[in-house]
Amino acid sequence: MAARRVGQKFVDFAAFAERVPPNQRAQFLALKSKSEAIKAKFTALPEKPKAIDWAYYRKRVPVAGLVDKFEKQYSAVNVPYPKDTATAAVEEQEKQMDKLAADFKVESEKRIAEYEKELAQWTTMIPFEDMTKEEFAETFPETLEQRKKYPHWPHYPYWE
Amino acid sequence: MFRRVVCSTGALALRARPAYMARVSAAAMPSMTFHTSSKDLMPYKMPEEGGKVRLGFIPEEWFTFFYNKTGVTGPYMFGTGLILYLINKEIYVVSHELLHGALIIGLLVYGVKKFGPAYTAYADKTINDQIEQTYDVKNAQVDALQQSIDAEKKEQWRLDGRNMLFDARKENIAMQIETAYRERLHTVAADVKKKMDYHIEVENVKRRVQQEHMVEWIQKNVIQSITPQQEKENIAQCIRDLKTLSARA
Repeated sequence: MAARRVGQKFVDFAAFAERVPPNQRAQFLALKSKSEAIKAKFTALPEKPKAIDWAYYRKRVPVAGLVDKFEKQYSAVNVPYPKDTATAAVEEQEKQMDKLAADFKVESEKRIAEYEKELAQWTTMIPFEDMTKEEFAETFPETLEQRKKYPHWPHYPYWE
Repeated sequence: MFRRVVCSTGALALRARPAYMARVSAAAMPSMTFHTSSKDLMPYKMPEEGGKVRLGFIPEEWFTFFYNKTGVTGPYMFGTGLILYLINKEIYVVSHELLHGALIIGLLVYGVKKFGPAYTAYADKTINDQIEQTYDVKNAQVDALQQSIDAEKKEQWRLDGRNMLFDARKENIAMQIETAYRERLHTVAADVKKKMDYHIEVENVKRRVQQEHMVEWIQKNVIQSITPQQEKENIAQCIRDLKTLSARA
């Protein structure tokens, strides 16, 4: 039965909290308090109701055959387990989120690669004090426009 | 002295030559592939210190050159002899120009000695400041890039935490369903119990009412059965009893 599994799973909110982005903190706290309320209600409720003392009632209840009838019916009654309509939606959301996350990860990796390329350019650069003008132009091609506009002596167009 | 000044300003922040420089300078001179030997024809660094000198300006090597043939006094003998020879044969004529030259050289030496160190410090400082500025820019860039990389990685790591969110939500749903189910079980049991308790209570009330009614009925009948004669006798008996009691007291 599902009851075995339910409530056994341990959601580590401390580890979860670390991963929550700062702008979603309020939502996280709302979820946390809600979960705690649900959990408290769940743990407060015993799994099975107290067994009915049929012998006690058989002695006292004056209506003949009522207790026997009730006992039979009570043992036969089948309480339907509530239908789960929400999990499917959550799983759907999870699937969407997985897709979004995968997309984001690809983009993010791309950005990281870009950053690392730039970083490598900086870290493997010739030290400034050892650079010649040509090497500077090679390392920082974005300064070309300015150098064209304000060329240094001897105004030789070395970029050509 | 000039050499010292030039050397110390020109050779700032000397470092061991990194390996990539060979690559860069080889790539910078593609037209110079005349032979297969090293293409690095330029020295990478200016010498940081000048060579050793004697008498303030004559290179040490010029002295050691004589040592094998003449011993340690040889170079001085040669120098003195050379000067004497030049003067004697009037190859160098001593005139007012000698004095002029000596004065000029003396002034130059004095000027370099006097103002050289200050100028060196100033030039070093200027260049060091410039280099520092450029390195500040570089370090800021590197830091910013590193931070962006870290931020991206952290964001990815946070995104991995979404499983926790969905786990928690699924768990909440499961718990709520289970709670509802248990509540239903409890309701069934409680209702059955209530019904039976009701029957018991009905019986109890019935009995109590019957009992009360019976008591009332008996009392009424008993009171009705008492006659005035009996009542009188009863009171007389009471008075008698009181008298005996007071006599005894």
